[in-house]
Amino acid sequence: MAFLLRRLAFYLAAFIAAATINFFLPRLMPGDPIKMMFASAGSELSLDNLNALKLTFGFIDAPIGEQYLAYLKSVFTGDLGRSIKYFPLPVSDLLGRALIWTVGLVGAATLVSFALGTFLGVMAAWRRGTRFDTVVSLASIFSSSVPAVVVSLITLFVFGYTLGWFPNGYAADPMLDPSWNWGYISSVLYHGTLPMLTMVVVLTGGFAVTMRNNMINLLGEDYIVMGRAKGLSDKGVMLWYAARNALLPTVSALAIALGAVLGGSLVTEVVFNYPGMGNTLYQAILARDYPVIQGALLIMTAAMLIANFIVDLSYVLLDPRLKRA
Amino acid sequence: MSDPVLSIRNLSVDYIGAEADFHAVRNVSFTIAAGEFFGLAGESGCGKSTIAFAITRLLRPPAIIRSGSEILLDGRDVLALDSAALRDLRWREVAMVFQSAMNSLNPVLTIESQFYDVLRTHTGMSRTAARARAADLLRLVDIPADRLSAYPHQLSGGMRQRVVIAICLALNPKLLIMDEPTTALDVVVQREILERINRLRQELGFSVLFITHDLALMVQVSDRIGIMLEGELVEVDDAQAIYRSPRHDYTRRLWASIPRLGSERTARDAGQ
Amino acid sequence: MSLLTQLLHNRKALVGVTILVIVILVAVFAPMLTEYSPTQRVGRPHQPPSADHWLGTTRLGYDVFTRLLYGARVSLAVGFGAGLLITVIGTVLGIIAGYKGGVVDEIITFLTNMILVIPNLPLLLVLAAFIGQASPLVIAIILGFTSWAWGVRVTRSETLSVRQRDFVKSAQMLGEPSWRIMAFEIFPNLISIVGINFIGSVIFAVITEATLEFLGLGDPNTVSWGIMLYNAQNASALSVGAWWEILTPCVALAVLGLGLALINFAIDEIANPRLRTGGMLARWTGLVRRGEGQL
Repeated sequence: MAFLLRRLAFYLAAFIAAATINFFLPRLMPGDPIKMMFASAGSELSLDNLNALKLTFGFIDAPIGEQYLAYLKSVFTGDLGRSIKYFPLPVSDLLGRALIWTVGLVGAATLVSFALGTFLGVMAAWRRGTRFDTVVSLASIFSSSVPAVVVSLITLFVFGYTLGWFPNGYAADPMLDPSWNWGYISSVLYHGTLPMLTMVVVLTGGFAVTMRNNMINLLGEDYIVMGRAKGLSDKGVMLWYAARNALLPTVSALAIALGAVLGGSLVTEVVFNYPGMGNTLYQAILARDYPVIQGALLIMTAAMLIANFIVDLSYVLLDPRLKRA
Repeated sequence: MSDPVLSIRNLSVDYIGAEADFHAVRNVSFTIAAGEFFGLAGESGCGKSTIAFAITRLLRPPAIIRSGSEILLDGRDVLALDSAALRDLRWREVAMVFQSAMNSLNPVLTIESQFYDVLRTHTGMSRTAARARAADLLRLVDIPADRLSAYPHQLSGGMRQRVVIAICLALNPKLLIMDEPTTALDVVVQREILERINRLRQELGFSVLFITHDLALMVQVSDRIGIMLEGELVEVDDAQAIYRSPRHDYTRRLWASIPRLGSERTARDAGQ
Repeated sequence: MSLLTQLLHNRKALVGVTILVIVILVAVFAPMLTEYSPTQRVGRPHQPPSADHWLGTTRLGYDVFTRLLYGARVSLAVGFGAGLLITVIGTVLGIIAGYKGGVVDEIITFLTNMILVIPNLPLLLVLAAFIGQASPLVIAIILGFTSWAWGVRVTRSETLSVRQRDFVKSAQMLGEPSWRIMAFEIFPNLISIVGINFIGSVIFAVITEATLEFLGLGDPNTVSWGIMLYNAQNASALSVGAWWEILTPCVALAVLGLGLALINFAIDEIANPRLRTGGMLARWTGLVRRGEGQL
């Protein structure tokens, strides 16, 4: 419990740090930060609307300390301002819609590639030196070194444009209304296949290498030999003695990899024109829609922290040495 | 005298290198009789642990047991067994206590599960029956049954080693191999563990293969002792003979390297 | 020295080093390998590969092969420049945190963990968005100052174990100043970790630079693989069938990434003998097959 509370306090600090970066970035840039932040608004925003936006981002007639507190207050009350491009749509609404798609895509891709990578890593370590190990290791090196942008472009080229098996963009058929019926759901799955495939290709190798190396490092441990000496089946020793223990460092590696996972999804969404956070951020950057850009960083950070907390929770469940505390 | 529990003949084990091989065990032969406490002594790296691992074929590549070697357990040729028969023989006939007390229990399983997996595999016992059996076994080594639900990190080093011994007794093995079982423990716990093993041996009638570099300790507990040097077994004799009239030069040198005070005390103990 | 000779005996390292050397040679001798300039129209738009234009032309009529050769310069420069910066910062902070301990360690570790949980690419995007169109140099500097956290973490934990060794203790007894101990006693024992960190950071920098440029945050006048991707995407190269324009930088990035990753994997194998499989397993299998022994 103490462990989890400590982590929660740390996550709060990390979130404030992200907000602080947001606060200082425009103020550190050369030139007038207000002009810069809202330049793309042109003359479309009325003075009242502009003043409301300024207030949200802490641009008030007061010392910088008070400005900072004013900004933190808007952040913690969930007020992320309004999109300039889609005025008066609140940033939180815009990003909230996008977040659902990203969480679905990233969540599914992470689960699949973690399961697949871990499984391949376990098998490769257990059959170390065999052809299976060689193939898995080489494929993993390749998978973990090729940029997501390259994989997504090639996937799109081959399966989207050349073979025409899958659609080239969007999260679902735009002609369908979102609802819980099979027509819509199958359209979502169909559109999600290529982005998902891309991410699984990019992520699986890293997990496989990590698991393989962790497991090989453990194979000399006395408790593994004891498992074999006990006459347990090979599968039993491999899963309950070797893999079960090697999973612990792999899960903590997963926590560190989450940032890269999110980065990968960002690029993939842009290439496949998938309406998630990454694509929304990309569109906002093109339009210099700073409230959305800043909001995206905050929401992505929050999502990362929640994902980290989930990893922490599973770590506590997996490692009895932490449960007692 | 009945047939020996363990009979090793011409055992040779190599560790394969990229170019040259390392001959870890060279042409070693010895036997252990039923109920006997046999000690195997030598410096670290002399191949004694390799022998222990070879008996139930626990070695991993690049180790290789050279053909021409023979290991008979209760008259059965271990080197001819297929993997299923081998798994069946492990722990049922030969149980093993490993070098590091801290490390030989699986850190993520409860003590109970570590009894249960071996009991279920070999006897098909139910969880309830296994728990009762495990509680009995823990009592043999003076650990309260409520520790069954504990994880290894919640026990002291000495307790962990006693748990391992209790697990070793789960299937009434004929031979208990102890590979430097007390290295990580302090002297008092060491002695306590060995005395306990000796009592259990007299009660339950298994044989012991005790491996250590500590010759003085070994003389106190063993019936017979083998001395190893660089993969070869240079001398096998009664513990008394090894202590009083060592024949091999190396054994004499081993004794000479043990401090005076220690050897006087062992002399008394050994001569009891 | 021995690390180098061991590297040359490792097949993965050999392939990786070969790839890297070829890319470096291509970058250095680019002007001699092509008759065109990378920033001039030299043909009609979107010509497929031909004898005149080995890898075709872009929508603006640039020669793709020429831009590929010159683009390698930017990828390598940013990769190795940012990689070096990341590694230096990570190693210095990691050794200090691990060796000094106490409050210094607490602060560095806190900062490190903080950076690890704030998602890197979105942060870079936001930074780049405020900076505007970033030149490769600016991208390298931003990467260097935001991506050292992983290096600190591994270096610190390795330092913690090296610190316990006898030669460090004896240096402390002899009263050597702590900067000397860190630089001359601890650092040499971290070489493989630092090497892995360096190559890993180079991979990361190459990938991230290309990604940022692809997303339109680079300077479009740069000749680099990332800008090639950006231009190709803007020219809708995929939908008009100009696959050569988009696949060329893709393959280049993939091959360079693979080469670097192979080197990294090899260093890992050499530093950690347990990961090595090597020739003895093949010999072992042969002996068992021939019936000379068993397990």
